[in-house]
Amino acid sequence: MTVTAKQYIIGFLGLMFLASLVFVQMMEVERKKAESGKGVAHAVIPASSRSCVECHQKSSPGIIDHWQGSTHANKGVGCVECHKAAKEDIDAFDHYGSIIATIVTPKDCGRCHKTETEEFLASHHAKAGNILASLDNFLAETVEGSRVPFNPHSPTPGKEVDVVNGMASVNVGCRQCHGSKIALEGTNGSLITVDELKPDADGVPTNLEMVSLVKKDDNGRPVLHDGSWPNTGIGRLNLDGSRGSCSACHSRHDFSPRRARQPENCGKCHLGPDHPQKEIYEESKHGVAFRDLKEHMNLDAKHWVLGEDYTQAPTCASCHMSGHTRNGGKVTHDPGERLSWTNRPPVSLVMDTDINGAVIKEADPVERQKQIVSSWQDKRQEMKNVCLHCHTQNYVNAFYKQYDDFVVNYNEKFAKPGVAIMGELRKQELLTKQDFDEEIEWTWFYLWHHEGRRARHGASMMAPDYAHWHGMYEVAERFYQQLIPQAREIAEHAGESGKADQAQAVLDLIDDILARPEHEWFEQAKKLADAGPASVTTEAVAATTEDKAAPAETATPAAGGNEEAKSSDAPKADAAPKEPESEPAETDGK
Amino acid sequence: MGDATQGSDLPNADGETSSTPSRRAFLQHSSSATMAAGLIAGYGTLAGIAIKFLYPARVGQTIQQYVCRLDELQVGDSLPFIMPSGAKVVVARQSEGDTADDFIALSSVCPHLGCKVHWEAANERFFCPCHNGAFNAQGAPTEGPPAAANQYLTRYPLAVDGNLLMIEVPVEGISVSNEEASA
Amino acid sequence: MSGFLAWLRERIPVQGAQLHELTNEPVPNHLKRWWFALGGTPAYLFVVQIITGILLAFYYQPAAATAFESVRYITEEASFGWYLRSLHKWAATLMIAAVILHQMRVYFTAAYRRPRELNWVIGMCLLMCTLLTGFTGYSLVFEQLSYWGATVAANISDAVPVIGSFAKQMLLAGDNYNERTLSRFYILHAAVLPTTIILLVVVHIIFIRLHGVTELKLEDEPEDKPKHFNFFPDHILTELMIGLVLMVLLSALATIFPATMGPKADPLTTPEVIKPEWFFYVSFRWLKLFSLTFAVLSTGFIVGAMFLWPWIDKVLRRITGIEDISVYIGIVATFALVGLTVWEAAVAH
Repeated sequence: MTVTAKQYIIGFLGLMFLASLVFVQMMEVERKKAESGKGVAHAVIPASSRSCVECHQKSSPGIIDHWQGSTHANKGVGCVECHKAAKEDIDAFDHYGSIIATIVTPKDCGRCHKTETEEFLASHHAKAGNILASLDNFLAETVEGSRVPFNPHSPTPGKEVDVVNGMASVNVGCRQCHGSKIALEGTNGSLITVDELKPDADGVPTNLEMVSLVKKDDNGRPVLHDGSWPNTGIGRLNLDGSRGSCSACHSRHDFSPRRARQPENCGKCHLGPDHPQKEIYEESKHGVAFRDLKEHMNLDAKHWVLGEDYTQAPTCASCHMSGHTRNGGKVTHDPGERLSWTNRPPVSLVMDTDINGAVIKEADPVERQKQIVSSWQDKRQEMKNVCLHCHTQNYVNAFYKQYDDFVVNYNEKFAKPGVAIMGELRKQELLTKQDFDEEIEWTWFYLWHHEGRRARHGASMMAPDYAHWHGMYEVAERFYQQLIPQAREIAEHAGESGKADQAQAVLDLIDDILARPEHEWFEQAKKLADAGPASVTTEAVAATTEDKAAPAETATPAAGGNEEAKSSDAPKADAAPKEPESEPAETDGK
Repeated sequence: MGDATQGSDLPNADGETSSTPSRRAFLQHSSSATMAAGLIAGYGTLAGIAIKFLYPARVGQTIQQYVCRLDELQVGDSLPFIMPSGAKVVVARQSEGDTADDFIALSSVCPHLGCKVHWEAANERFFCPCHNGAFNAQGAPTEGPPAAANQYLTRYPLAVDGNLLMIEVPVEGISVSNEEASA
Repeated sequence: MSGFLAWLRERIPVQGAQLHELTNEPVPNHLKRWWFALGGTPAYLFVVQIITGILLAFYYQPAAATAFESVRYITEEASFGWYLRSLHKWAATLMIAAVILHQMRVYFTAAYRRPRELNWVIGMCLLMCTLLTGFTGYSLVFEQLSYWGATVAANISDAVPVIGSFAKQMLLAGDNYNERTLSRFYILHAAVLPTTIILLVVVHIIFIRLHGVTELKLEDEPEDKPKHFNFFPDHILTELMIGLVLMVLLSALATIFPATMGPKADPLTTPEVIKPEWFFYVSFRWLKLFSLTFAVLSTGFIVGAMFLWPWIDKVLRRITGIEDISVYIGIVATFALVGLTVWEAAVAH
């Protein structure tokens, strides 16, 4: 090879090298761009929190690391900004020169996040603590545990157990989702909660007698009762009179919006036998798409507006809370704003809400109209605006038709009759006043609280298996094979023990219900067998021929709002109304 | 690129035979030029990358830091804000209204020789004890050496984010120990 | 212009002819084949290492508390930091590969024979220094694998009889990896070893100049062709070409396989799979095959034999009477080295 040729080759190679460096430059630009999108947090520690960080970096590095990755840290919001307390606050204490409180309440968060806190306080979420004297709570407090502490019955080898805390299941179960009533220990052994303290609008207690009773530890800190704290339940009843806990969804101490946008976040509570929303979501096409496309969902985006920042798949937050292009990107912290049915009670109700945000139970149309502040149609439109980012109007309307039909079918066929039968048993005093001491009470609870909700939630979020096999199939089995036989057995037993009239009332009601067209199939064959074999075939044929005409008729009333409102009157008052139109039994073909 | 130019001066070891002297000279010149260009382009760019690497990445970067809520600061009031570096900044509200212009953030470091100024409420001025410098509430010099040299107290940009007052501060700086910062 | 040149010549009294004489070593023709230029390749890569290393040292902080963070800063925040760090890493890999290939070339062409035995020994020293530089450099990242690699290496040296524990304490600045260990690795990696390498390279080249390059006659060459060509500019241009090809190759490797960050070193948790850098795979596998003491002693024996090979070769030839005995041994040894490396690379434990 000549020197000249070599020189040319060197020139060429030099240019190749240059080309590779140009490529490096391009990669560098890409990298810088990706980085700026992420808003890489700089470890700038606000001066106010430097001493906190220095100490806690060693004692509890986890919370510091989380905080350093948060938007708070990036904007100079440190420890004291959230934890600071007024001297008069009941749980305030001096911590190395700063007056702070352990528990940060929505009142504290609301100092800066005002709108979010207001929306949250208006939501059903904030009222989750109100179950603390409900049926569910009775289950955990009394049925699963014990309201009063009791003595152990035999030793636990290797561990000293003086007393059994019967509230354990409530503390660990119910309250970790629903929220506890935060309590301080009193010097006289009492528990001091918001009820005793009667805080004013600023959260400062007004009952000074109680204030003086609060027990302090060696460092002068008020002692939080261990049954009530740790707790991040969403409806927590705080000492300052505020309700709820923002960290239920925005886990401390990074308060990651990214995490709050993902279904696992909601799945801390919304799963399991009674309301498996997360599993339902996972079964649905929505959940499947999310798992596949998660990386493309721009979960770190600042505002995360559907239609702008992402369109790949919806998460829980997308549909129920997040902003989208059709509402100008407005986020709501009240997930009930877009729900048109409440599927929580035994009989589903449409979400006409009054001035307090409570679901209206009034049956009279005129009276009802007066109370409505936000109608279920408004709320449904809000949800449709989300759906329309991916689906056509017709598609969405037809989906809602399927969903409405499903809920109405459940309501009419099983829920209202179930309510009526249980009501009649109580009215005739064939059941004790005590809940859960009779088998039928468990049966009924399973039917609406577990299976009935699974079915309705399954239908609401497009999970066929939850709607059917985990849902309606089990509802039906529970109704026909357990509720009806058990109710009859109670009545028959009562009849034998001299309560003939009461027993007859119950049996008549059951017969009335089972004589309805949708239940007719159940005992028809048996009745005919009793009566004689002659007429079996003709009846069955008649039912089948009517079958085809029927759906068109039933469709109209189910779609209209007022029709549903009428049919969903107070669950307990349902005295087994006679159906005006006769509907053929759907299952007769099988 | 001394190699390249020297290379072309030297006799060709392989000894080309067929080309005329002028063609040969042209070839030698152009090949040397090509080589020089290639080498300069490649290694020169690499040198550029090296310089870019050494140039600080965060220079001139600032970050917004939370100061207080708007309603926490009344007209005429001020509060100290301690920078991440430990330096103290005085933040005051000058007027009603919820824009950044209604607030002012002034460094408490005297622009003369770096002493700490403090607010004298009686005289309504920032006073520097080192050389009797004084500044008004807007940070403009009124007396002493700063007035002579027309040196203002450093003003930090403020911004309003919802109902929060934010201050823009440099990202970097060696932070001093806490005792000093809170002193 | 000419006045300035005259001024310069007076201050630097070196004549062009002298310079020409000094640099223009006649180069044997076989060096036109690229595999004979492998000695220049590590030298070139060494220069790349010095330049990128100096650049990286501007940001690197050799302390347990800050080392990992400073490497992260280089990789993630500094402009082109990822590229320069990747260049440094890949140039190290190629340099070690080139040194090994160069040494194999020298070995299989028996270029170490009389009178060049001492240059072989210097080459062996260079190999050892290069491997040590690679090891210490890898430890500086202070990620899990490099931390545990260093720990394991120190405990291996502990197994050497008599001087073992002394060597370990010298390496780690204590009985265990501690606050002062990293600065030791750093100064070895960035000052002691490079300086030693430079000195050894100078001696290496002086020896080459004194002895001349070993002359080789390849079979397919016509008899009448000139036996030498000029070092300057001909061979220099070849080296420049190789240099640029290497730069393009390094750039490609750096962009396609950039140096990443593993998890930060955690003295409390040993990773499930722990591997050294690829060039230690051989000794790592060897250690797993035999008891620690035997493996260490045998490794020491093999390395010692390699140092003394020019004389061993002489003795072997005399005893066996086979001229190419070293080539056959070399082939077996190469297969063993490649086999052990592939074995270690292929399995997790």
